[in-house]
Amino acid sequence: MDIFESTKMAVKTLTANKLRSTLTMLGIIIGNASVITMVGVGQGAQRYASEQFESLGPNVLFIIPGSNESRNRTFDLPKTLTLEDAKAIAAQVPTVSAVAPQLQTQQPVTYSNKRTSSLIVGTTPEFLPVRDFEVARGRFFTDLDVQRNTQVVALGSDVAKNFFGDADPIGQQIRIKNISFQVIGVMESKGAFLGNNQDDAVYIPLSTMSSRITGNTSPYGTEVTFISVNARDEASVNAAEFQLNNLLRLRHKITTEDDFTVRTQKDALEIVGNVTGALTLMLAAIAAISLFVGGIGIMNIMLVSVRERTHEIGLRKAIGASQQDILVQFIIEAVILSAIGGVIGTVIGTSGIMLVSAVTPLKAGVSTTAIAVAVGVSGGIGLFFGVFPARQAAKLDPIVALRSA
Amino acid sequence: MQPVIRLEHIFKTYGSDETEVQALQDVNLIVETGEYCAIMGPSGSGKSTAMNVIGCLDRPTSGCYYLDGVDVAGLSDAELAHIRNRKLGFVFQQFHLLPQLSAMENVMLPMVYAGIPQNERKERAAAALTRVGLANRLNNRPNQLSGGQQQRVAIARAIVNRPVLLLADEPTGALDSHTTQEVLQIFAELNSSGITVVMVTHEPDVARQTRRIVWFRDGQVLHDHLTPDDLTQMTIAA
Ligand SMILES: Nc1ncnc2c1ncn2[C@@H]1O[C@H](COP(=O)(O)OP(=O)(O)O)[C@@H](O)[C@H]1O
Ligand SMILES: [Mg+2]
Repeated sequence: MDIFESTKMAVKTLTANKLRSTLTMLGIIIGNASVITMVGVGQGAQRYASEQFESLGPNVLFIIPGSNESRNRTFDLPKTLTLEDAKAIAAQVPTVSAVAPQLQTQQPVTYSNKRTSSLIVGTTPEFLPVRDFEVARGRFFTDLDVQRNTQVVALGSDVAKNFFGDADPIGQQIRIKNISFQVIGVMESKGAFLGNNQDDAVYIPLSTMSSRITGNTSPYGTEVTFISVNARDEASVNAAEFQLNNLLRLRHKITTEDDFTVRTQKDALEIVGNVTGALTLMLAAIAAISLFVGGIGIMNIMLVSVRERTHEIGLRKAIGASQQDILVQFIIEAVILSAIGGVIGTVIGTSGIMLVSAVTPLKAGVSTTAIAVAVGVSGGIGLFFGVFPARQAAKLDPIVALRSA
Repeated sequence: MQPVIRLEHIFKTYGSDETEVQALQDVNLIVETGEYCAIMGPSGSGKSTAMNVIGCLDRPTSGCYYLDGVDVAGLSDAELAHIRNRKLGFVFQQFHLLPQLSAMENVMLPMVYAGIPQNERKERAAAALTRVGLANRLNNRPNQLSGGQQQRVAIARAIVNRPVLLLADEPTGALDSHTTQEVLQIFAELNSSGITVVMVTHEPDVARQTRRIVWFRDGQVLHDHLTPDDLTQMTIAA
């Protein structure tokens, strides 16, 4: 009997028992849909995070406390980075065009009877050019404000909207950690960075932050959380990294392990790539397991089906079907089921990705590789998990099979 | 001319040691081409076992079986499947039709395994069904047919590959006396057209319509070529 006849026979059997066929396919459908969705989401996350870092511009460098090794060891990092470091960088590193130290913490912010918990960012006026922020209304604080520890604040757009609606906030008093601040400006909306809403934040002079809000406990100077630096241009990023390392090692009197890390945009992208790559792999692995479970489902239901159809198999053998005929018929049934399941799963998975892209910032892409692999693998799974039940069927003794009626 | 069936010292043992059952013990039987033969005997006497050996569904434990002159012992499973397909036709007590297929499709099945092209399959299936009087039931499913009609579909399926030997194990066991007569009528016609027919039956009235009666007991052929009178005595005794 040729493959064409076997296929016709398999289709006939499968359509004669639609419920069983559908149930058998279900596992493969779910497995396939999840592989495609998961990989799509993982790659979407990767793209999203990369774009966020790319949006910072290629010139930006970050200096964060602790060495890479020490960050792996402990969460309790040394308070080694200071405002004085930032000033020294601005004064002494020729390849750097602007420096913005940031000291930040989450604190309650209130206005009359309204209250939020927002990110309080203590920084210097150079924050604007370095991080590419702009003031929508009023003004940002000046170097003079920083020198004099003035209690002025520029509101993130969401905080401004939340407290004042459409009214003009400039000149109003708000309270941060129960200390009164005068609103001098409202920031242009900036959106989220890596999932943190940058508009739900308020910006105050770093000196005020340090003395009135956080209190300074660093023995080295005025502690900061991290320092953002702009290199003069893209070509000087490497030189800037080198010079920053040198300067800070000197200032911090480093002899062995660094107590800070200079990170370029490229470093950040690499880390993002590693983290999200691992995430994608993990998602794909979870999905692959469900595909595998789908395969076992096929085997399971086919074994039941072989039992149910013992009688049919016996009869087919009695009228001249060889073991190979029976084997081929059952394998084809399994492959058809899993291939159709694969295609349906792909359609569902693709729709899932489109849904994710529509409702989240993750621009999840439909990966053709994922589709090819998923459909190919599910066909293979049908073959693999179909062989065992098919062999059971082929080996049935026709006499026993016929008597079972 | 070769006999269709030649059984020589056939033994068939099921199980082993304590559970051992000697289903056939030295069966010798020759059936010539064109015979119409009934196998009778008490339940458990080995009739079905003998039919399974004759039908190449089972291999004897020992002894020689020549089917149409060919020593079956030397054939592979695939070759036996081929023989069942081409040389043999089976009719069972429970019909064994596939419920999801129409009468036509059921009858076409052996031809599918024989690799016969679709057009010829349709023609021959329709012809076979016409021959058993079901020309107007080609597209009915088994559950839309009476018992007698289902058995006639099964007979059409058994003869569609033009076998030399038709084997029927209690083919009328599930039928009433009227449909039994219809089926026997078809067997008689097939036999007169040259097909050798061997049939197991419990019913003396059925056996009397064949031309040779073989009596099994305890896995052996106890009597052969029984006359109708013998048969009356045998059945009274049994
Ligand atoms: N597959 C089997 N396994 C074990 N014993 C069997 C098997 N088939 C038949 N037998 C035994 O062989 C003997 C003959 O059975 P069978 O040929 O079916 O008799 P009949 O058809 O004459 O009623 C019986 O004792 C039966 O129990
Ligand atoms: Mg029997």
